[in-house]
Amino acid sequence: MAQKSPQHEITQLLAQWREGNQSALDELYPLVYDELHRLARRYMSRERKGHTLQTTALINEAYVRLVDQKNVPWANRSHFFAISAQIMRRILIDHARRHQYAKRGGGARQVSLDEAATVVMPDQSGELLRLDEALKSLAEMDPRRSQVVELRYFGGLNNEEIAGVLSISENTVTRDWNMARAWLYQQLTGSGAN
Amino acid sequence: MTPERWQQISRIFKSAILLDNEERAAYVASQCGRDASLRVEVEKLIDSHGKADADEFMNGIAAEAAAPLLTDDEIGPRQDVLSKGQQFGSYIILDSLGSGGMGEVYLARDTRLDRTIALKVLSPDISQDNRRMQRFRQEAKVASSLNQPNILTVFEFGEVDGLTFLATEFIDGETLRDHLHGKRLKLSETVDISIQVLTALDAAHEARIVHRDIKPENVMLRRRDGVVKVLDFGLAKVTEHKYSTLEHDSDPEAITEFRTAPGVIMGTINYMSPEQARASEIDERTDIWSTGVIMYEMVTGKMPFRGSTTSHTIVQILEKDPVPLTKLVKAPAELERILMKAIAKKPGERYQTAKDMLADLRSFQKRVEMDTELKQTLPLIIRTQDDLGRQKKRVLVFALIGMLLVTAAIFAVNVWRSSRFSTSPSVTTPAVAPVERTLTYWITVQKFKGRNPYQEPFTLAGEINFEADYRIRVNVRSPQPGYLYILNEGPASGAPEYNVVFPTPTANNGASLVPAGETILIPKESWLRFDTQQGVEKLWLVFSESALPELDSLKQFASTQTRGLIADPLRNKAIKDYLDSQSTSKPEVEKGESLTTVRAAGQVLVYAIKLEHH
Repeated sequence: MAQKSPQHEITQLLAQWREGNQSALDELYPLVYDELHRLARRYMSRERKGHTLQTTALINEAYVRLVDQKNVPWANRSHFFAISAQIMRRILIDHARRHQYAKRGGGARQVSLDEAATVVMPDQSGELLRLDEALKSLAEMDPRRSQVVELRYFGGLNNEEIAGVLSISENTVTRDWNMARAWLYQQLTGSGAN
Repeated sequence: MTPERWQQISRIFKSAILLDNEERAAYVASQCGRDASLRVEVEKLIDSHGKADADEFMNGIAAEAAAPLLTDDEIGPRQDVLSKGQQFGSYIILDSLGSGGMGEVYLARDTRLDRTIALKVLSPDISQDNRRMQRFRQEAKVASSLNQPNILTVFEFGEVDGLTFLATEFIDGETLRDHLHGKRLKLSETVDISIQVLTALDAAHEARIVHRDIKPENVMLRRRDGVVKVLDFGLAKVTEHKYSTLEHDSDPEAITEFRTAPGVIMGTINYMSPEQARASEIDERTDIWSTGVIMYEMVTGKMPFRGSTTSHTIVQILEKDPVPLTKLVKAPAELERILMKAIAKKPGERYQTAKDMLADLRSFQKRVEMDTELKQTLPLIIRTQDDLGRQKKRVLVFALIGMLLVTAAIFAVNVWRSSRFSTSPSVTTPAVAPVERTLTYWITVQKFKGRNPYQEPFTLAGEINFEADYRIRVNVRSPQPGYLYILNEGPASGAPEYNVVFPTPTANNGASLVPAGETILIPKESWLRFDTQQGVEKLWLVFSESALPELDSLKQFASTQTRGLIADPLRNKAIKDYLDSQSTSKPEVEKGESLTTVRAAGQVLVYAIKLEHH
């Protein structure tokens, strides 16, 4: 059998996933994860001063690097964006969790360091983890709205792109976002019970 | 919330937010009709929508907000400046303890005095940063001027081979932040820690030093003996004139300390006082505030001021009253009073000195200790009571306990008095606490599609809004052993009808006695299913110190074929009367996030969980 290039492999997996093969997603996931993670870190080290991270630019770059452009129908791009948003969420949540863990761990001896930088992470990562949890509950009630949030907040996509990925109108995206955001706000600030 | 309910809310919400205020209210009212809870949900969500807008909630993207999380492991583990076994001035490095923004911390041996110390070595790039260097020097200067057991002792500040270092006492323990770990502390522990923090602050304030950064990260608990050490006087400030209003002590730096790049919060702002948040005049009373905030967190497990964003948190600090303690936990009124006084928005309404607050806390602590002593004598009484013919003599026992309580109260007041004025000889307290039954429960819900479970089960703390596809399991636990009976009362239309839910031959082998501390799953392996009739179902929990023959006799009806249904109307009526007669003392209900605890005075606890059908 001819050796597959990684580009070719990813392109094929995307096509299979689009056709409904769920196990293709399992194979796709780690490949895209690694690439996005690598890119995210590179972007961050390059832009560390300003602390900005353009997720869309990053995903676009990953797309160009990972997917064989010539033989790919447009719909694959949407699928790639959808999975990338999911993975960006995972990457950030993984990091957040590790921070919480590192903060708690260490076990035997802990010395408080006087610098504020040591406490910035747990606070921010805590918020992110709580958002992730709330988003999971949302997905149980309303998978589409939770996906809109994932694409926009974690994937950095704009409404037009989201509409394309989910095959819904831009108006619907706006409405979904409004509702989901209000609900998440309620969950995170505790201003309403479920 | 079920997907159906959610869709219902969403349908109304999406049109409502397009309308202006007046039209909106009318529209929501017309759409919700008589469903008041629907209306509340919709209104809450509309309100959150407005607040989320105002707060710019989730306006950016996650990666921006979480940028530092990504950079962090890019930097990788910092290169240790010093290695194990290395000689550094008169110190020998034993181990690396960790690193922070300022540099590395090592465990080291002071060879001159032969003691173990913590050595903080400033990273070279920070040594060149004047502001941070200033802070480091400040910490050394301030802390070494304060010689108090609750303040971390600084031994030496100096430079070796071009590296600036600070040698301090080494504390084997954990920070209060790690100790809290999102949970609440026991009352006695909370008071103990607070007293020690205030003792440290009192010493600092005496020396005209305001700490300005009291937070759980800066409070260390020594493992060996629980001694508290207040750390980090790096932001501390020496006040010239106490409460001076002439000299405007405006200190914008206090705020900029907390911010670096826009949107990136350095440190936590949750313990900042209103005057700090406004960057206005700061004095000792700022530390009182922060101590109050920490206390609140120890008591409730939650921060009193916490928003989804920095600005939201600041608004809370400046304007909002925290959720009253009593809404979150069972806390003595006196503790609440002390705490609320510490976090009064206006400095003038707070405790004016750490000493004043200390005095109140100490006398509160004495009272708590007394209560604990009272409770410890309880088992004795129960044992003697076992020997009485219980059913008949119950009234007598109650009367006896009542008398003992009065005696105990009088006695307690006497001990209290004498302990205030003299060191009275120690006495054992012949007293008793009230007899009480405690039961904790939570409900696991499994959704079903047809005959098959659907989605992961989830748990609910208390009452539930029931949906047709829900099946449930009740989880019950008590710190006391006792006899447990559970009956289901169907939706009330006419005379109530009961099903025996517990004990059954498949649960607890038909025995009603359950051991202390064990979680009982009811049913153990399957799920309880209810008919879909609308209305309120009740699950009656009866938890008694002794067996209740009236309820034990119902075991005969516990059969899977009939689902434990008691068909005989007369018997149902008798059960109702019996439950009513036992429900004399109204239980106290404490709803937690994941479970509910019910307490009732007396030997029998009767409580009905409501299951609402829609």
